[in-house]
Amino acid sequence: MNALPIDLDLAWESLPALFDGLMVTVFLTVLPLIIGLALAFPICFARMSSRRALALPAETFVVFFRGAPLLILLYLVYYGLGQIEALRNGPFWIVFGSPFGCAIVALSLNHAAYMVEVLRGSLLAVPHGIVEASEALGITRRNIFLWVRMPLALRYGLKAYQNEVVSFVKGTAIVSVVTITDLMAVANSIFEQTYDPFTPILCAAAFYWAFVNLIRVGFTFWGGWLNRHNAEDVAMPGPGRLALARLAGRAKVMP
Amino acid sequence: MIARPPASDLAGDLAPAPVAPAILLAGVVKRYGAHRALAGVDLQVQRGEKVVICGPSGSGKSTLIRCINALERHDGGRIVVNGIELTGDEGTVQDIRQEVGMVFQHFNLFPHLTALENCMLAPQLNRGLSKAQAEKLAMAHLERVHLADQARKYPARLSGGQQQRVAIARALCMEPRILLFDEPTSALDPEMVKEVLGVIEELAASGVTMVCVTHEMGFARRVADRCVFMDRGEIVEEGGAQDFFDAPKSERLRHFLAQILR
Repeated sequence: MNALPIDLDLAWESLPALFDGLMVTVFLTVLPLIIGLALAFPICFARMSSRRALALPAETFVVFFRGAPLLILLYLVYYGLGQIEALRNGPFWIVFGSPFGCAIVALSLNHAAYMVEVLRGSLLAVPHGIVEASEALGITRRNIFLWVRMPLALRYGLKAYQNEVVSFVKGTAIVSVVTITDLMAVANSIFEQTYDPFTPILCAAAFYWAFVNLIRVGFTFWGGWLNRHNAEDVAMPGPGRLALARLAGRAKVMP
Repeated sequence: MIARPPASDLAGDLAPAPVAPAILLAGVVKRYGAHRALAGVDLQVQRGEKVVICGPSGSGKSTLIRCINALERHDGGRIVVNGIELTGDEGTVQDIRQEVGMVFQHFNLFPHLTALENCMLAPQLNRGLSKAQAEKLAMAHLERVHLADQARKYPARLSGGQQQRVAIARALCMEPRILLFDEPTSALDPEMVKEVLGVIEELAASGVTMVCVTHEMGFARRVADRCVFMDRGEIVEEGGAQDFFDAPKSERLRHFLAQILR
């Protein structure tokens, strides 16, 4: 008998199906990350506005969608919105009529709510004196945002952003409850077919782990490149490429 | 002597109206709540003039020069800079900021950009210079503050004195006719004060209009055409450096000088 709780043959046979599931998980990660981030910017600007009429709705959005458990949010979008007849007959049914559409909406709203706060915290961390210096140079507000505030905010907020992305990836596992066959759902169905609880679940865990760590490594490189100005002994030929290699754990970096 | 950068018209010799002062402040008031940081300040700075402002902490001297380029908005009175009246209108604010460079106590360099890029940013964004043009301009001004060899370093790798000189070069790259210094040496270690003041003195010789908040009395004596003493939001006394330090007229200035000279 096999001493391992894993059936290696089953694991090998399951790989293609699990890989397909992983692709669904990747898709359900990347798209909401993009949409959520795009939503977060205007909501964050509204939240930071001195005008109450803008700040209050934005704050309400954050409080609601950050407070609502993702699972309940998903149920509400998937089962709840379907009760509205006008929506069922309207053009948006293309989105809300499919589990994928609903999952992307729910995940995007959740991610946006978290990102508003990440973004706001990062922007508030930019030293006021640096913004003043830009103003004194006669740089327009728009350009100050693009070339000074945002690049610095990105550096201050990168760790928080990484945390949010990593926990978000794992959060996508709940989409299986609305019939989407993501990585978790594939593992679950293999379990139901074989009555082997360990092999598919541990394999799925390994896939999640690999995906999350790929993201982590990506962030490490990104952070190393962004923070090259703080690197020890910055070698200057080219924009800090050597420093980048050094920071990113002495890995070889191709130009 | 230092070489003048080719594209510079720092001397302010392109005066639109020769009689108009570079800076005119008339009855300027600034309030923070009930507190009056500026209680009706009148001050004129002629083209090419070097004015040093001193006064105790909280006297309103920083607030005064920050009003000149609208980092603080004044609540009353008039401010006219190079013939442009500062109103609430964003356009006039931008116009004035193109004419006025500022150097801060805490340098406020862009930490994510090299010394060179710090100097290139505003000319590229505001004046639409190409990268090559901006780089040439920035190098010329970095040379002027004796930092050409540090151009590709990030601020974190530079000493305080070097950072402040980069900040001066960055302001010069906008080729302003007026330079404002807000305690440029107060945050520096003592051994670095001299290199920064040296650069400012060299600039002073170039004919640019300068307003400098500082307590460096030796510097004031060497450079200032006029010294202004502020206390509690108003100008108490002003005069040539010689009289100002050696024969102060007001009791408040005498008291202040006794405090700082010990």
